[in-house]
Amino acid sequence: MAETKTKSGTIVHPHYGCTVGAAYTVAAIKGGVPIANCGPGCMYKQFFLISFDNGFQGSAGAGGGNVPSANVGENDIVFGGAQKLDDLIKSSLAVLKGDLYVVLTGCSGELIGDDVESVVRKYQEQGFPIVHAETGGFKGTNITGHEIVVESIIDQYVGDYDGEKEQGLVNLWFDVPYFHQNWRGDYLEIVRILKASGLKVNVLFGPQSGGAKEWKNIPKAQFNLVISPWVGVKTAKLLERKYGQPYLHIPEIPIGEEATTAFIRKVVEFAGINKRKSEAFIKEESQLYYYFLEHFAEFFSEYWFGLPSQFAVIGDSAYTLAYTKFLASQIGMIPVKQIITDNPPPRYREKIAEYFHNIAEDVSVEPEFLEDGYLVEESLRTVDFGSGVPLILGTTWESDVAAEKGGLLIEVGPPTTEEVTINKTYIGYRGAFTLLERIYSAAVGGK
Amino acid sequence: MAKEIRQIAIYGKGGIGKSTTTQNLTAGLVERGNKVMVVGCDPKADSTRLLLGGLAQRTVLDTLRESGEDIELEDILKEGYGGTRCVESGGPEPGVGCAGRGIITSIGLLERLGAYTDDLDYVFYDVLGDVVCGGFAMPIREGKAKEIYIVASGEMMALYAANNISKGIARYAKQGGVRLGGIICNSRNVDRERELVAAFAKELGTQLIHFVPRDNEVQRAEIHKKTVIDHKPDAKQADEYRELAKKIEENTQFVIPKPLSQERLEEILFEYGLFDSIKESNYHI
Repeated sequence: MAETKTKSGTIVHPHYGCTVGAAYTVAAIKGGVPIANCGPGCMYKQFFLISFDNGFQGSAGAGGGNVPSANVGENDIVFGGAQKLDDLIKSSLAVLKGDLYVVLTGCSGELIGDDVESVVRKYQEQGFPIVHAETGGFKGTNITGHEIVVESIIDQYVGDYDGEKEQGLVNLWFDVPYFHQNWRGDYLEIVRILKASGLKVNVLFGPQSGGAKEWKNIPKAQFNLVISPWVGVKTAKLLERKYGQPYLHIPEIPIGEEATTAFIRKVVEFAGINKRKSEAFIKEESQLYYYFLEHFAEFFSEYWFGLPSQFAVIGDSAYTLAYTKFLASQIGMIPVKQIITDNPPPRYREKIAEYFHNIAEDVSVEPEFLEDGYLVEESLRTVDFGSGVPLILGTTWESDVAAEKGGLLIEVGPPTTEEVTINKTYIGYRGAFTLLERIYSAAVGGK
Repeated sequence: MAKEIRQIAIYGKGGIGKSTTTQNLTAGLVERGNKVMVVGCDPKADSTRLLLGGLAQRTVLDTLRESGEDIELEDILKEGYGGTRCVESGGPEPGVGCAGRGIITSIGLLERLGAYTDDLDYVFYDVLGDVVCGGFAMPIREGKAKEIYIVASGEMMALYAANNISKGIARYAKQGGVRLGGIICNSRNVDRERELVAAFAKELGTQLIHFVPRDNEVQRAEIHKKTVIDHKPDAKQADEYRELAKKIEENTQFVIPKPLSQERLEEILFEYGLFDSIKESNYHI
């Protein structure tokens, strides 16, 4: 059974934002405009942890540091914040061009029971593409918020549908945008793989998505594809009920040839489409993959000094699992500490632990579920990385303990203050080598 | 050295007569030479009507809403009967915002503006209905009212509410110095009312500090926007409030209440025949 430490009740170093941080889920939709109905400072905090100090991901238009906020004050709490929100929506619609506006209500409005729905309904009835999401920060993490926002858009904007389904069209439920600093690059790689395998994709987030219009096509898809140990499963179940769409749940984000090829075959099999295209693609990508791997092998076998052999990963369920699996099963590194920080719901924990138990042939790891950065550090301190250089895939919060251990820290999750991300991916066929480049450049002294 | 102001919170079921009792009691205390401030903690803002001779008060929250933070004490504090200082906290429109937070805001403001001067002998907080959330418990938090009186009657729901309020007091008593000073029975003329409320008070570990009989003199005075003592000083009911004032002034019995279980509360009600008399008198709840 997975080890679950008793929570101290306080979190010294957070590895996630709060529910209202899902404003960045909205910002990740082309033409999406988040409208934050929360106190002053809420958005600032979310912005820094999820976007800025998380690989300096950058934004254009609404999003980033430009999220309109009601900055709820004491008067709004005592007398109700409806009027101020109404003013904010009116101004946002006038000033910010968008295709889909999402009002996210934070703690204060949710606690006093502001009737946000009726404020927003007025604009919906006037024909504005606007929805509201109940994202009081006390409800949980920004991942919880991500699911709430996605479902609010589906319920209030996408709406009912009883038309035809389009064979071979898939809705992609994948990385939580911004929360995963490489999300843009990751989407690019997964979409490239899915399209080359013969599928059409509702990408929904990021540069290749069709924006709000594409969300309207969600009910037309043949099925939903969930790539995460747990995030998105709830959404897929909602869509199953709402539109009668089946879903395929693949818990592991594929990294490297073996995993990616298996991933493609699973998806194609589920979709029931012709395999000729996908097999040709697999062949082509595999040839490239092994060409590069062969050449990398020279360094791998000849470079004797200071290469890591044992590693730890501190991150959310999805990436901790994906990185651990790739490094353990493909590179032959030994996983010694895997800490999951995204507070997955209890009902998924046993399953998640099980994936780690069978991470590779003859390799089994017991993951730890810890939310508090202090406990993460304490746990890392006790790890024996053997005689090699410790490799830690983690966040800026782990930099002190990494330095104490003389280890290599590769920042892969929030907060990340020593990486600048534009279009980067560590997943799929192509991203796998970027990850290896990043790790081994650090190992040969390139930081 | 400054003497300590006796800060008293009055709780009780909605409609039981908290505001009426508080103001009439205040008049009694004023007659005895005390300087009193009454802080209404009810969005309806009718806790000082009898002392001011009408709803003449702009509430703290209305003032805050209209004039912003730049408020002087005289904007929100009015002088009423016998030099009593009257403040109404006020609140949001029904159904919006947070009235509890409103009370916290206005008491905070009163403190900042220096309303609690040393010449005061008593401060009363007249709090609406039940202790439904943290805001309505504000008057009994650390550093505020240390004494509480619950206004009740022999009616079942009044005693349910009183018991529930006692739970709130017991919680705060553990953290601070707040104590229950007694139950004031504002009579509704139900059978064996005095015995029932006295028994209930005893079970809670407190006292029935005074039984205020039902008297239309109170309603007559209210129509004239006055307390009984002010309106008709020689009325028998005026003496009742004088007696209540005296008892409160001399009260030394302050306890942490022991709230009753639901079963025990119903047992007492049965014991004093309330349930039977409901049937007999065709009393509707």
